[in-house]
Amino acid sequence: MSDWLKEFANRFYLNFIKDERWHYITRGLRTTALITVFALILGVALGFIVAIIRSAHDKTGKLKIANFICRVYLTVIRGTPVVVQLLIIYYGIFASVAIEKMIVAVIAFGVNSGAYVAEIVRSGIMSIDKGQLEAGRSLGFSYAQTMIYIIIPQAFKNVLPALGNELIVLLKETSVSGYIAMEDLTKGGDIIRSRTFDAMMPLLAVAAIYLTVVILLEFLVGRLERRLRNSDH
Amino acid sequence: MTTNVADEKVLISVNGLKKKFDGMENHALNGVSTEIRQGEVVFVVGPSGSGKSTFLRCLNLLEEPTDGTILFEGVDITDKKNDINLHRRKIGMVFQQFNLFPHMTVMRNLTIAPMKLLGLSKEEAEKNASELLERVGLANRADAYPNQLSGGQKQRIAIVRALCMKPDVMLFDEPTSALDPEMVGEVLNVMRELAEDNMTMVVVTHEMAFAKEVATRILFMADGQIVEENPPEEFFNNPKSDRLKSFLSKII
Repeated sequence: MSDWLKEFANRFYLNFIKDERWHYITRGLRTTALITVFALILGVALGFIVAIIRSAHDKTGKLKIANFICRVYLTVIRGTPVVVQLLIIYYGIFASVAIEKMIVAVIAFGVNSGAYVAEIVRSGIMSIDKGQLEAGRSLGFSYAQTMIYIIIPQAFKNVLPALGNELIVLLKETSVSGYIAMEDLTKGGDIIRSRTFDAMMPLLAVAAIYLTVVILLEFLVGRLERRLRNSDH
Repeated sequence: MTTNVADEKVLISVNGLKKKFDGMENHALNGVSTEIRQGEVVFVVGPSGSGKSTFLRCLNLLEEPTDGTILFEGVDITDKKNDINLHRRKIGMVFQQFNLFPHMTVMRNLTIAPMKLLGLSKEEAEKNASELLERVGLANRADAYPNQLSGGQKQRIAIVRALCMKPDVMLFDEPTSALDPEMVGEVLNVMRELAEDNMTMVVVTHEMAFAKEVATRILFMADGQIVEENPPEEFFNNPKSDRLKSFLSKII
């Protein structure tokens, strides 16, 4: 037993303490967190815009061209792997310009996530009784005002669990950032592995950190859900 | 009473109104023409499927008519050039299913439109709303959410929400049909008071006794047309068309 413990301590020292290798983990976590947060903001913004255009088109038959563009966006983004999208954006679209890799990653993951958020939000908008739209319009609100003040806040509450799910997926998907040589959490663990030739310890540490962050996110989303549920009795 | 009303100005003038829903064979409305004058309380009755709700919902363009015109205060609101949102502010509407905003408190339900659309300050809007809440006996529910209210309370709040915009006319789309019987009275009382205060009202309902008591004129609709329209006395005691005679014989 004590031999096992000694071995564990040795490996821990080698993988994390020696040469301050834990920096790979902390810097990686920081990168992962930054990509996730900004991609989330971009994704939610894009998703809401696309969802509103699509549901406005479904209701009124207007915005034909915008709706067509949205549908192409949804099909292409949801129909191809995020790694391929990331590589195309990095090596293809931004190949000739010097651009921060962080920005490339945020755009790639944000645009990708936006497609999923769009359909989540659209399902939320569709779940709201049409009487709500009629009540808003009958008071004199425009379609856009009715959306903003009346429909979206209710739709958001209904789709919060699904949005929380998308956030978790997004966080974990950023683990492919290493493909464009970004040192995110996963890449950090992998770098340690390549230095120490010990796979289990750094990768288990990385897995544990993802898990911890996800549990934290679940907790926060759950709290937000309960707060928004105030009006249901 | 009718002679008085005849002198009042015309608020809504409907001409040759037609509405055909996609995929339906018959017209829901097939050439409806009538006038609604200031202070009138017009009840619209008829068998289900007669087009009475469609007619009402056309008056604020919740349904877009296929043909015909609707002049509201002299302006053709079916003309796309006119901003319907501005006219809807003056046309209050009360729905069968209440349609209160469930994510807002009662007070917020009542003040959001006056604040955002009429530019009232929060204080002004809440003062108006409180006075109206007082009148319908719900002053103590200002901070409640709609889901904490009974059906009758919800509908009274819905009426107040429309009144907060200070409309020139109120439309009621079967306002008591979704209510438990013991709650119908409280809603009808509010409507009766409104009528006594000379609010112009158009009411689609199945409450015949109430129509008889409150209406200044009753329209009988069948197959998308107005078959007969008369003051309640004449309407109930001396029906002319066979359709109305058979309708009245079934409901009384």
